[in-house]
Amino acid sequence: MTDLKLPNCERPTVTPDGKYRILVVDDESSVLLTYRLILEHQGYEVVACGKSTEAIALLQNQRFDTVLCDYSLEEQHTGFEVIAAARRHDPAIPAALLTGYATKETADEAAAKNIAIMIKPTVTEEFLATTSKMLKRDGYGR
Amino acid sequence: MKNNAEKKPPKVPVTSIRSGSMIWGSNLATAELRFQPEGFGGRRNKKPRMAAMRLMDAERSDEIFSLLLEEIAALGYPRALVLEADFDTGRIVPAAAHKWPRLQAEKLATTLSADSHPITRVLLASRPAVLTKTTFHPRPVYLHPILYSQNNVCWEAGRVSTAGCLAVRNSRREAAISAKDQTCPNCEIRGYAAVAVVELAKRNTEADLTELGELVELANMSLSRLHRAQYRYERVREMEITIAQMATVMQSMTDPVMLTDTQHHVIMQSKAAERFFKAPPGARERDLRALDANQQLFASALSTMLVSGIEPHRDLVLLDVQKGAEVIFEAVAAPTYGPDGVHVGAVTVMRDVTELRLAGLELRSNFDKLRSTEEIVRQDRDRLNLIIENVGDPIVVCDRQARIILMDTLAQELFGNPAAVGASRSALQSKNQEVFAAYSKMFTSSASDRETAPLQLYNPAVRQSIEYDARSGKIFDEMGHVAFTVTVLRDLTALRKVEQLKVERRILEIEKFAATGRLAATIAHEVNNPMEAIKNSIYLLAESIPPDALPIYNILKSETERVARIVRQMLGLYRNNEQVKPVNVNTIIEDTLLLLNRQLQRANVEVRLDLRELPDAVIAADQIRQVLSNIIINARDAMPDGGKMLIRTRHLPGRNELRSWVRILIADNGTGIPRDLQRAIFEPFVTTKGEKGTGLGLWIVKGIIQNHAGKLSARSTVGKGTVFKIDLPVVRL
Repeated sequence: MTDLKLPNCERPTVTPDGKYRILVVDDESSVLLTYRLILEHQGYEVVACGKSTEAIALLQNQRFDTVLCDYSLEEQHTGFEVIAAARRHDPAIPAALLTGYATKETADEAAAKNIAIMIKPTVTEEFLATTSKMLKRDGYGR
Repeated sequence: MKNNAEKKPPKVPVTSIRSGSMIWGSNLATAELRFQPEGFGGRRNKKPRMAAMRLMDAERSDEIFSLLLEEIAALGYPRALVLEADFDTGRIVPAAAHKWPRLQAEKLATTLSADSHPITRVLLASRPAVLTKTTFHPRPVYLHPILYSQNNVCWEAGRVSTAGCLAVRNSRREAAISAKDQTCPNCEIRGYAAVAVVELAKRNTEADLTELGELVELANMSLSRLHRAQYRYERVREMEITIAQMATVMQSMTDPVMLTDTQHHVIMQSKAAERFFKAPPGARERDLRALDANQQLFASALSTMLVSGIEPHRDLVLLDVQKGAEVIFEAVAAPTYGPDGVHVGAVTVMRDVTELRLAGLELRSNFDKLRSTEEIVRQDRDRLNLIIENVGDPIVVCDRQARIILMDTLAQELFGNPAAVGASRSALQSKNQEVFAAYSKMFTSSASDRETAPLQLYNPAVRQSIEYDARSGKIFDEMGHVAFTVTVLRDLTALRKVEQLKVERRILEIEKFAATGRLAATIAHEVNNPMEAIKNSIYLLAESIPPDALPIYNILKSETERVARIVRQMLGLYRNNEQVKPVNVNTIIEDTLLLLNRQLQRANVEVRLDLRELPDAVIAADQIRQVLSNIIINARDAMPDGGKMLIRTRHLPGRNELRSWVRILIADNGTGIPRDLQRAIFEPFVTTKGEKGTGLGLWIVKGIIQNHAGKLSARSTVGKGTVFKIDLPVVRL
């Protein structure tokens, strides 16, 4: 469980090349939608995917600044796979797993792979803060 | 002529004498004394009176003869002599003389048995006589007998009222006297016999003879009285001497001896008896009462003894007034009789048997004690046998050489019965015995008082080799050397089975719990996503809410967040599907701390670890991790400004060697939990964190610990800190 207390800071929404692109993956449609709306409201460019296969396919073609992915997609804990796919194209891409629970093993694995974990139900402010940190590639460790 | 030089009479008044008138009145008319003198009346009356006074004045009997001879001489007779008889020798010899030459006097000596001798005859006939010229003496002589005689019977004869008094017999001249009879049969006085011999002149008349006779009789009266008085005196003296001797004898006796009269009053007592019956000088009131009591006790005991005659002795307890102690006596009494067979009193000897009786009592009491001790020992032995028979485990007692001396029935199954007829012991039993002997020797010679060790023995009853748990102890003698060893063999198989079952059940419970957890997790997970959507939507709606709807909107938001927290927490705790297996708790602690280290550091919490070696415990590792992290986070939350945390583990022994405990202590010096909440913190929905707490954490923690059959408790002081204590069971199978 990562618990980041961030000082109040500006959340960058625009890169020199344009807006940040975030890939959000979650198999719950309403959750997916609301995440997208929140992130877009924040000023990010969001691509929302409902299936892991879709997400992996997208990652092949498109470039993203960060990946936020639900851990148990299709009941199969394929979150890691999606992120692995993203890392294949951009090894340093910041990624976070969104999950309702995390076993020690999961946490260990995430830590080993330099993947953040966000526990659902999230606190929206924290959700946004973590995302911002990740985008800045700014030590979003455990 | 007669000598008129009369002596002056002494000053004592002369008592009237019964002047032998009786004597004179009787029988003096003998052939020799036929004629009565004339003209001598006046003088005759005066002279005897004077003489009588002198004779009565005599104080000693041996004066009488001299006085008599003086008086005879005063009457003018030239010579006179008194011969006295000695009853022992039978001789009659001169005793006193007046101008009588010795040689001539001795010529008159004779014996009592010389019947023909005139002097003897006078004595025996007890009559006076005149002897004319004889071969004994050239001149005529007047002979007068002097015999002990009295008118009244002696006192003793009077008592028994016989007339057998010597004195009276003599005076009455009832019979011829004999030498042998001169002892009074009653008073035992010895009479005397003498003869007065007076030489006569030619001119002496009958009257002169009469006068002489009267004089002699007068002398005899005095003499008899004095003789009796002397005799009495001597008897009294003898008695006094005897009494004194008896008294000495009595005093010399160390036992109290009492001579009592018929009223049981003490006539005489030994010195030893005085302590009990005589008041010492300066005796106090209560001493006198004690003496009185002694007297009464004694008198009553004496009465009983003398009256009953059956019990010649009795036990008597008297108070020794001088020493102030009670003394037990055995009194023996015998009646005493006077010389005439009359009961005059009793003599009692008392033996101090205090020590004897006390010894007897002590002996009795010791005997009773012995009996009751025997009884107790017997009961103990019976109880012990009962216990041993019912223990249900083989029990073996060995001596100091580690040889088996006692076995209960179960032990006999294992080792064989040495006392059984035809002592058949199977090979297996022999083997068992070897194994046991080796163990027993080792223990007996070891320095420890107790020992527990596994022993592999074959149990023929179940036909199996069983590992017994042998527990031994030593019994020491008074000198501290090993006297016996006692060993109990416990078959733990059954116990192990039970423990095994318990563990299996617990694993089941844990797994069920996990399953429930999984179920809960599944439900929570199901709820999770909708919650996320709701929450996100609320966030998104924020800007679209009209101002007057804001309060409602806020309620919506905050309550939703609360539900979200609950779900989160539930998910956070029920997220494992791990297996239950033996794990080292220390490892789990370290893992958890690793995970939480950053947070703790940031919170300025200093963690100290005190982990001792632990055996593996069969637990669900992740659940325990949850427990630990929950408690650690709580501790951190209680120290908002930082503080210290201590985590300690210990391995504690349990009730038997199969069970033990792993204890985990987590202590902080934070704000503490208020007393009224301490019980309630483990209940659901109780929190000290205000809005932020869900109140579920410790409830779930408790649930996990309970499923592990562990124990959980908390101690806290507000302002000082809190300690959580977790005990997890360990079973060695």
